[in-house]
Amino acid sequence: MKRNIFLVFASPSILVMTLLMALPLAMAIWLSMHFMTFTNVLEPQWVGLRNYVDVLGDAQFWQSFEFTVVYIAVVVPSWIVIGFIMALLLDQQSGLARGIYLSIYLLPFIIVPIVGTIMFRQLFEPSGILRWLYQEIFNTRFRYTEQTVKALVLFHGVWYVTPFTLVVYFAGLQTLPQDLLEAAGIDGASRLQKIRYVVIPHVRSLTLFILLFSIMDSYRVFDSVYVLTELNPIYKAHTVMTYTFQTSMRLQRLGKANAMAVLTVIGIMVVLIPNLYYSWKEQLAER
Amino acid sequence: MDRVTSRWGRILIQIILFLFAIYSIVPFVWTALQSIKTVRDAGSRIPKLLFTPTMENYEDLWLRSTPANPEALAFFLLLALVLLVGLLLFAQYIPGRRPLVYGLAVAGFTTLLWGIPQLLDTDRFYDFFMNTLIVTVGTIVISISIGCLAGYALARYIGLLGVFLLLAALAFRALPRFAFVLPYYWIGSALHLLDSRMLVIITLVAVNQPFTIWMLRSFFMEVPKDLEESAMVDGANRLTSFLNVIVPVAWPGIISTALFTLLLAYNEFLLVRVLTQTNWTLPVAISRFTGGEDPRHLTLAAAASVSATIPIIVVILLFQKHLVKGLAAGAVKG
Repeated sequence: MKRNIFLVFASPSILVMTLLMALPLAMAIWLSMHFMTFTNVLEPQWVGLRNYVDVLGDAQFWQSFEFTVVYIAVVVPSWIVIGFIMALLLDQQSGLARGIYLSIYLLPFIIVPIVGTIMFRQLFEPSGILRWLYQEIFNTRFRYTEQTVKALVLFHGVWYVTPFTLVVYFAGLQTLPQDLLEAAGIDGASRLQKIRYVVIPHVRSLTLFILLFSIMDSYRVFDSVYVLTELNPIYKAHTVMTYTFQTSMRLQRLGKANAMAVLTVIGIMVVLIPNLYYSWKEQLAER
Repeated sequence: MDRVTSRWGRILIQIILFLFAIYSIVPFVWTALQSIKTVRDAGSRIPKLLFTPTMENYEDLWLRSTPANPEALAFFLLLALVLLVGLLLFAQYIPGRRPLVYGLAVAGFTTLLWGIPQLLDTDRFYDFFMNTLIVTVGTIVISISIGCLAGYALARYIGLLGVFLLLAALAFRALPRFAFVLPYYWIGSALHLLDSRMLVIITLVAVNQPFTIWMLRSFFMEVPKDLEESAMVDGANRLTSFLNVIVPVAWPGIISTALFTLLLAYNEFLLVRVLTQTNWTLPVAISRFTGGEDPRHLTLAAAASVSATIPIIVVILLFQKHLVKGLAAGAVKG
């Protein structure tokens, strides 16, 4: 394909991404240097770097950053381990049951995150079945505190994304090199050895892919944490994104919120740059 | 992998698979039960598993007043729905004239959806449902049309420019919504577009574009090059050969991508929450039912959650293969 034909075909998409992604990103940087509330959106007031100083000195911001790191550290390994094990087990199932299980397992990942979180919360409401179970088993009252809300956020995080890794690994298992498995079997390898020396190396590139994207996605987790904390404003279990939301929508400090968003973008670069480098090499190899 | 053969091993696997299914589905079952309880039963501190089911929460949610003859109306609506879905399902067995049949079904659905408020005194939740539908369909149509062109161009062009575009898209995909949402708010207020469905659709198309072109590109790569080359020898130009030869071959992949676009637009919360004050879509509308002291919020949130989930369950059942294929194709979620 010639270059000008490429440009003609790609131009609508390039136009949309320039006008509505590159430009807004530049604007976010510009707006982050202004004092802005919902009343002066169109005439923001220049304050230079004061918003950044403000954010970096904000203890609550650092608290939310800390919880975001904890979230990533707990949730991402759980997705990978549980997803991989369940994919191995589901692979043992065949026929109709396999499809039915797959549909059921996909449910938490596919439904509206806000709705999924509300459903999850229903289990722990004062009349919820899991709260009742908890109180029956441990014989103490279940209360919404900072600790329990954080535990719920983590638990929900594991619950709703595991189906994604499960399906990706499950698809990876369908393309296992059969000859290698057979050779391993002839050599007398046990099942665990086969998994260790054939299956895991086979899904290594998938794992890398999941790792890069799930770190970036869990860093910017918003919807579920919003439902579990923001709606109970007393319980502080903010992540960076929900704290940014609170700063913009509740406190109306739009400039400061923009500064937080820009800082988040810089934070994501840590994972994004290796990812870009990896894709760059992959793309060049393809051509 | 080869199968586990020992009997106890197989039983253990069955038990784990079953327990994991329970774990995945418990919140849905519990919420569905809560949604058909009276406020009193739902609020009981000791969970009630035996109760008299009621539809009053759904009535409260969707209707402003109870119609005079609910049974007749429900029967009529169900009949129309069954007829239309049946028409869609059997369209492939009707010889020839398939576009006509699909057109008829779509026209039927449209009439039905816009006709319901004439028959029933619908509440605002119905408006939010319609908003969601319009936003979702609008986003899919625009995003997939321009995404197909770009995805195809990226699959066939080997220059460095293509690599730059792909990497830029990857970078945009990784960034948090918040980096874009407040500038969108600024743009919306400068152009007096706040609270309009159009702004929501256009911004959704934009945030969707990086993911869409990556995914569509991977599907177009699978289409052999000889196909359009032979069409172009026959005198077709790039665009007509693309539309007539490539798109039909890549159609399953396009459906997969459209499904993910559907989920993304249907699920979006933050963007809609910031850019609209009254023209909400379902996620924002539902989030309003949580919290607060009104005891009815518990059951209304349950009924609203179930109502918003049913369309998604239908989608999973109809398109499970496409979904799995999309996820497996290296699809990148959200």
